[in-house]
Amino acid sequence: MVHHHKKRSRKAESPDIPVAPMLDMAFQLLTFFVLTYRAAPIEGQFLMNLLPAQPVTEAAEAPSDKPSDNLPTTQRTLPTVLRAGAGGVLAQITVGEQSVPLESRALEKELDKYLQDPNLPFDQTLIKVDPKLKYGELMRVINAFSNAFVSAKKPPKLSFDEWVPGEGE
Amino acid sequence: MAASKTEFKAEPNLTPLLDVVFQLITFFMLVINFSSDNYDKNVKLPVADSARPIDDPTDARVDRLVLNIDRDGRLLEAGEAQPLHKAMQTLKRQADFVKFSLKVAGGKPDAGGGLPTIIVLRVDRDADFQALNSMIKACQANGFRKFAFKAMSGPS
Repeated sequence: MVHHHKKRSRKAESPDIPVAPMLDMAFQLLTFFVLTYRAAPIEGQFLMNLLPAQPVTEAAEAPSDKPSDNLPTTQRTLPTVLRAGAGGVLAQITVGEQSVPLESRALEKELDKYLQDPNLPFDQTLIKVDPKLKYGELMRVINAFSNAFVSAKKPPKLSFDEWVPGEGE
Repeated sequence: MAASKTEFKAEPNLTPLLDVVFQLITFFMLVINFSSDNYDKNVKLPVADSARPIDDPTDARVDRLVLNIDRDGRLLEAGEAQPLHKAMQTLKRQADFVKFSLKVAGGKPDAGGGLPTIIVLRVDRDADFQALNSMIKACQANGFRKFAFKAMSGPS
């Protein structure tokens, strides 16, 4: 009898917390967060230091002690011209004096010749861009140059300027 | 009869379910991104596999000014395309604000005399270079020297 009484009192002491309302609220919060969630786009960037109106601009990197640094900037700069065709697509790329392939991988291979040759002093490039060229096409070339600089173990130093039609022809 | 009814009353244990729901809430709270207002969805970025991801976009020490430029080369402000003269005014106002903030904080411009703010250019892939170049020149005229050209990371 005594034992039975003890059991009853224990049952009466145990608190009965209603979890269902809290669950309702939690589900409402969850619904809000699920509906407002927007996956952040995976965006990258190319950082450049562009100085105004001068023949050659370059990224402000720490100067190195390489012998090519003693050369004037104009001799260390690989001149590149991008010409646009109909609809602003890339029609011609001229690196130095030569026309190079338009396809990205082939372009990178061609750029490797200039940037990986120890006899050539190039450690930066100035890209003259046709004003009608689409930004997407320019970015394709910047991407190829960036990869070529990385392959040549040189810090990418890119800059660009507007190409005046008739210039360099 | 009444006693047999109470015996069949189902009382599921909701605590584990609540635990899971709270974990989900915590996850969504941590990954939610309220700061994407600067990123205009109308701007379709080009793809470049070597575009580097931003080190820490929330780093308060790095001052960034995001410029969205649509396919017609117009600056977008809160989704609205601005005419060129208004875009120039916006840039000048921002430059004045940065200069004033630098002065108040006792800071100095960079070695080249440029402002420390990074201009983040989100340019539509179909925009002409001419429009981009005029925007860059306007930024340079106002003292900005550092530019970040945005592209979608991934195979091009």
